[in-house]
Amino acid sequence: MKRSDIGLRSRGLVIASLLAGSWRTAPPPLNLSPEDLDEITPLLYNSGAAALGWRRIRDTELSTIPSAEVLHQGYRLQALQVAISQSKIEIVHRLLQEARVDAILVKGWAVAGFYPELALRPLGDIDLVVRPADYEAVGRILARPEARGCWIDLHSGLSEFQDRSIDELFSRSHIVSLRDTQIRVLSLEDHLALLTIHLLKHGAWRPLWLCDIAAIVESLPNDFDWKICLGSDKHRGSWISASIALAHQLLGANINKVPLQARAKHVPEWLRESVLKQWGNLFPGDHLPVQPRPLMTNVLTSPRGILKETWERWPDSITATFNMRGRINNFPRLPYQLGDFSTRAGRYLIDYLRRAAART
Amino acid sequence: MNSKARIAKPIARKQGLVIQELPDEVLVYDLERDRAHCLNETAAFVWQRCDGQNSTTQIARTLGDQLNCEVDEKIIWLALDQLGRSYLLEKQPTAPPAMKGMNRRTMMRSLGIAVTVPLVISITAPTVQAASSCIGSGSPCTPGGIPCCANLSCSGPAGQQTCQ
Repeated sequence: MKRSDIGLRSRGLVIASLLAGSWRTAPPPLNLSPEDLDEITPLLYNSGAAALGWRRIRDTELSTIPSAEVLHQGYRLQALQVAISQSKIEIVHRLLQEARVDAILVKGWAVAGFYPELALRPLGDIDLVVRPADYEAVGRILARPEARGCWIDLHSGLSEFQDRSIDELFSRSHIVSLRDTQIRVLSLEDHLALLTIHLLKHGAWRPLWLCDIAAIVESLPNDFDWKICLGSDKHRGSWISASIALAHQLLGANINKVPLQARAKHVPEWLRESVLKQWGNLFPGDHLPVQPRPLMTNVLTSPRGILKETWERWPDSITATFNMRGRINNFPRLPYQLGDFSTRAGRYLIDYLRRAAART
Repeated sequence: MNSKARIAKPIARKQGLVIQELPDEVLVYDLERDRAHCLNETAAFVWQRCDGQNSTTQIARTLGDQLNCEVDEKIIWLALDQLGRSYLLEKQPTAPPAMKGMNRRTMMRSLGIAVTVPLVISITAPTVQAASSCIGSGSPCTPGGIPCCANLSCSGPAGQQTCQ
């Protein structure tokens, strides 16, 4: 392991120990030095886990050190953000209900309810899922001045779910209330599946996402239908199980309610290590697209240039496995990374040639 | 204190604010200025009683009743000064001459008080991106910061980069 990787990994481990049980009403005791907290505070703040971090240290001696104040500020900001975001969610849903269009709110606010306080979970954009037939109409509704300032991520279906139709998602969804507004959210089975797959799709770079999974797994009702959650696609089912196992291994999530068939036999070392390195990195992988022009220029001018270019665009093992629909097992990830890189390079090359042809 | 200052009846601003009450402080987000403020218990107590009906003397008395001690009116004026600087008052009465130049530190020194000295602190405005999976097309980004969504990259002149 490279020296820089050891630093990332150890920071990732400190984050894991701080966030362990942070979603519970009574989190477990904490053993962390002020130096450790200083080192991970920027990572927590930048990744949206400041409030959870503050919750873990607020009743300890660590609460008086300067880094703690940064986390405290993060908590305060999120408390305000809850009030602002909730009013925006109400505005958006009122507009949709007036137009008699149904939408499902996913992630964000729909997950925050699993924490002891809404303010512990940052609310970002409003993710809405609509039926493909409604997509354009909803786009027009949300472009109205009343929805100005509401950052909406509108989805026509969910790419994470290729094994379940949008109608299935709607039929299993249910309504929850936000003051006087009725909000449609995914069934718990579909939501847990979405969060676990979403985690891997984005390389698991936010520790908050694993806390979400842990918070839900510990809140599952007895009639939770694992067959629906795992779905019919065996690959995706294995991803869901692996994500839950990660929440157990890294954050100590209690998986007593998870039946054997939904438990991953083990978490491969590459997956665990990759997640820890992502968490320990202040600027996790912003993988640049594989642009043919700089690649070709670098091939012609400098072999070192192409190596640098390739390194900057090299996919992490989790994202590559996801993009290549790979299995989560002990085999090396290099084939998936090569495949993912080549696929992206090919896609950009075709696009580049097409645009070049259009110009001439 | 002169009589004009004695009957001062401050009014708290209500419009364009998002208010969130926490167990030991009140958070206020100013939608017009995009600024967030944190009011400690004493500052929040004073602010919540600025209704145009209560005078500074009455607010001091009410605070004293709550804390079971005598509260110097200077405490109220210090809170009003900070609330006014944070644009949280509609109507800010003119401070009496005795209050001119009084800050939090000199107040603590001169009064040796049992009451928490009022404090309004500003907090950095939240960014909605702090919770997003990735940044969408055309939105501002920072190289090495929150990643752009699939097939997009953070590019453009320094300080004006967007996901493209």
